[in-house]
Amino acid sequence: MKHINIVIAGAAGQGIQSAGEILGKTLLRLGYHVFITHDYQSRVRGGHNFMTLRFSGEPLAASVRSSDYLLALNEESIGLRLGGLGAKGLAFCLEGDKGNHADARLRVLPDSIGPASARGAKFAAVKLSAMLFASLGFPPEILAGSVKKIFGERLKPEILQANLEAVAAVASFIEPIDIRPPSFAPAPSAGRMLISANDAIALGMVAAGIGVYAGYPITPSTSILNLLGTEGPSLGIAVEQTEDEIAALNLAIGASYAGARAACGSSGAGLSLMAEAIGLAGITETPVVIYDGQRSGPAVGMATRTEQADLLSLVHSSHGEFPRAVICPVDHEDSFYLAAEAFNVADAWQVPVFLINDLGQANSESTLEEFDISRVRIDRGLMAPEPAESAPFARYAVTESGVSPRAVPAMSKWLVSCDSHEHDEYGHLTDNPANRVRQHSKRMRKLDGMAASFPGPEIINPGRPVCVIAWGSTVGPLLEAAPTLKEKGIEYSIAVFRYLYPLDPVKVGQALKGFERIYSLEQNYTGQLGKLLRMECGAAIQGHIGKYDGRILTVEDAAGLLESALGGKL
Amino acid sequence: MTCAETFDFHEPQWCPGCGNFDILVCFKEALCGLGLKPQEFIMVTGIGQASKLGFSVKCNLFDGLHGRALPVATGINMANHKVKLISVSGDGDYYGEGGNHFIHAARRNLNIAVFAGDNRVYGLTKGQASPTSSPGFVTPIHPEGVGGKPISPVLLALASGATFVARAFSGNKEELSGLMRQAIEHKGFALVDIMSPCITFNKTNTFGWFKNRAKPVGPGHDPSSFEAAIKLASAEQDSIATGVIYKACRPAFDARFSALKGETIAARTADFVPGRVRPLFERFK
Repeated sequence: MKHINIVIAGAAGQGIQSAGEILGKTLLRLGYHVFITHDYQSRVRGGHNFMTLRFSGEPLAASVRSSDYLLALNEESIGLRLGGLGAKGLAFCLEGDKGNHADARLRVLPDSIGPASARGAKFAAVKLSAMLFASLGFPPEILAGSVKKIFGERLKPEILQANLEAVAAVASFIEPIDIRPPSFAPAPSAGRMLISANDAIALGMVAAGIGVYAGYPITPSTSILNLLGTEGPSLGIAVEQTEDEIAALNLAIGASYAGARAACGSSGAGLSLMAEAIGLAGITETPVVIYDGQRSGPAVGMATRTEQADLLSLVHSSHGEFPRAVICPVDHEDSFYLAAEAFNVADAWQVPVFLINDLGQANSESTLEEFDISRVRIDRGLMAPEPAESAPFARYAVTESGVSPRAVPAMSKWLVSCDSHEHDEYGHLTDNPANRVRQHSKRMRKLDGMAASFPGPEIINPGRPVCVIAWGSTVGPLLEAAPTLKEKGIEYSIAVFRYLYPLDPVKVGQALKGFERIYSLEQNYTGQLGKLLRMECGAAIQGHIGKYDGRILTVEDAAGLLESALGGKL
Repeated sequence: MTCAETFDFHEPQWCPGCGNFDILVCFKEALCGLGLKPQEFIMVTGIGQASKLGFSVKCNLFDGLHGRALPVATGINMANHKVKLISVSGDGDYYGEGGNHFIHAARRNLNIAVFAGDNRVYGLTKGQASPTSSPGFVTPIHPEGVGGKPISPVLLALASGATFVARAFSGNKEELSGLMRQAIEHKGFALVDIMSPCITFNKTNTFGWFKNRAKPVGPGHDPSSFEAAIKLASAEQDSIATGVIYKACRPAFDARFSALKGETIAARTADFVPGRVRPLFERFK
């Protein structure tokens, strides 16, 4: 696929995010498709961070490692990132950051270019962006317009002015030989958005009618708390930063009991703290959506690095047995629609629903066509009719599906009792053995119903002898790696799992029938989805291709891993 | 049927002579005194013998995890800021397992009445020390006596930002039910720490021990003074003050949300259509 890949690298606090925002939004408005990933350390200042910004005339499903441009915001970044720059690529830096580097691809911007008021490191991001835009053959007015639009309200007028003058001056500095307009045309579309998967999830929650959200700050899930918190007052959503993740889930459960659509969000470490309350949602049959932005564990692990290693812990989280669902979007578009659907699953089956993502995808941004509201439906599930007079409610009436009609306390005349203990139909505690069997089997029956109601895996590129099983952010790189590997004689189908638990063995068996070999490619050591498919469905998974270095899976990574795993075996 | 009988539900299963019986009687009296009907409030309880009171009151009930009643109540308040919230549990639940939640619910000034049956011992698990057990209290786990200093629920609530702090003795029913009534009517976090004997597992802090020490605050105490409240709660030795120790007016947790003005979120949920997300799309263009 024709594309241009830009790496912006520097220390934390140097404006990588701002540069990315300006470049991303500008390319979006020019009509290009954009895919941005963030690679950062757990620190506020210093260190080495970078982002990749890939753009194309076609939709992009993943990031790539090899770059066409490097914007080095400090000297260290030249040394660390020049290796990933293509032979015909260009690297830009300020005069003061050049150091001893003497690479033919390096273009150094003298301090004399631009106004005196725009000297120093804090102008590096804008100046190097201006060099990039000039090299791409875009008129400087476009970039200046974006700077004005995005920074107009954030910067003091004189600083904004200095930035704008710098953009104009730097543009004319680029040599004609370095001007290389894209070989692909943009494909403009009205309404297109550039959005992170986390933001798409937050929007999906809003579309689903969320009323209450709670969380404790943690990478990478804080951005959902931020977005819902910021927009809460205008949308009528109550958002609270709780004292810990234990409180966050208990709060969401309370809100759901009292009639709101409620969710909480965290990452693996917070999910570990929530374990007890996950069981509470299970036994009280309280619908709740729990977002897990998976990151590298265990314990604090690598706080800003990605992993897909929470799946089995979520399937088993909390003691005892109870039904729950695990849903994972494969990309940004999915993030919106599945986040909305997660609430329907929670309400329909009155279970905790884990909506999961991984850090790499959660933070990455992609261009999407505006979400189609008509594809979102809101279904609150079974509700009980009102009684003539106030009376205790059989909240846990035994039914064939295992789902009992709900009533909302204080919104209805029913007196609604929910209990963390094993309980009778009225929510009153009892350890009577016959009742235990009735209530426990009632709850557990929901697993069969859910599995039957969930779609099975989607098979992409069907009919190949080899199938690669994937979930979440590995799907995009697998899709994009396919044409390259086909040239090398390696072809594969992809089985994409969105509804990860509970699984229907019949649907899974049918989808995976006929493949000679089945591998899972996951960002973990043990091959968790592969294990789950073996355990739940008896699927014959021959091997696991694992990546657990905490870094985002690029197209090259996927191709390399598949080539070494499958190369000699076809 | 008397008013109190309209709240009768499951027969409680405490030891004869347990202070919880008196707390239950006073609670029903307080509800009747306020004219509350079973469907007009939600009880949120935790785990422990004191918490089991919830099963004996006909009402809406969420009986949650040990120590976690207050976060559940916070969520209920956010979904329905109009419904009265009452939480009943014990010293182990509020001040031990749920200590962090207690502090933060008080800090938020969550609009709730919290009735803590404080018997200074773990009854349900048969006689371990609680956060309020006296120094030197002997248990099988602490044969040499509990070390450290007991938590003062009153000082903890005061320091955490509670806006109604009271103490009662389960044996003084008239005072207790009056304090419960005031706590339920209070707008904000209202704690009534109820000294209550565990006749089976606490042979130190007996009915007589509490009775001899419980001294209602006189007209000389000014409950609107934070300093006076701290001083009163700090000076406890042979006499323990009961009654309203502190009462202040500060906006309750739900008052700071514009989302919680007017109709409740629970009531508006039916109007939340998918299209309400549309204005947010502009942020990403």
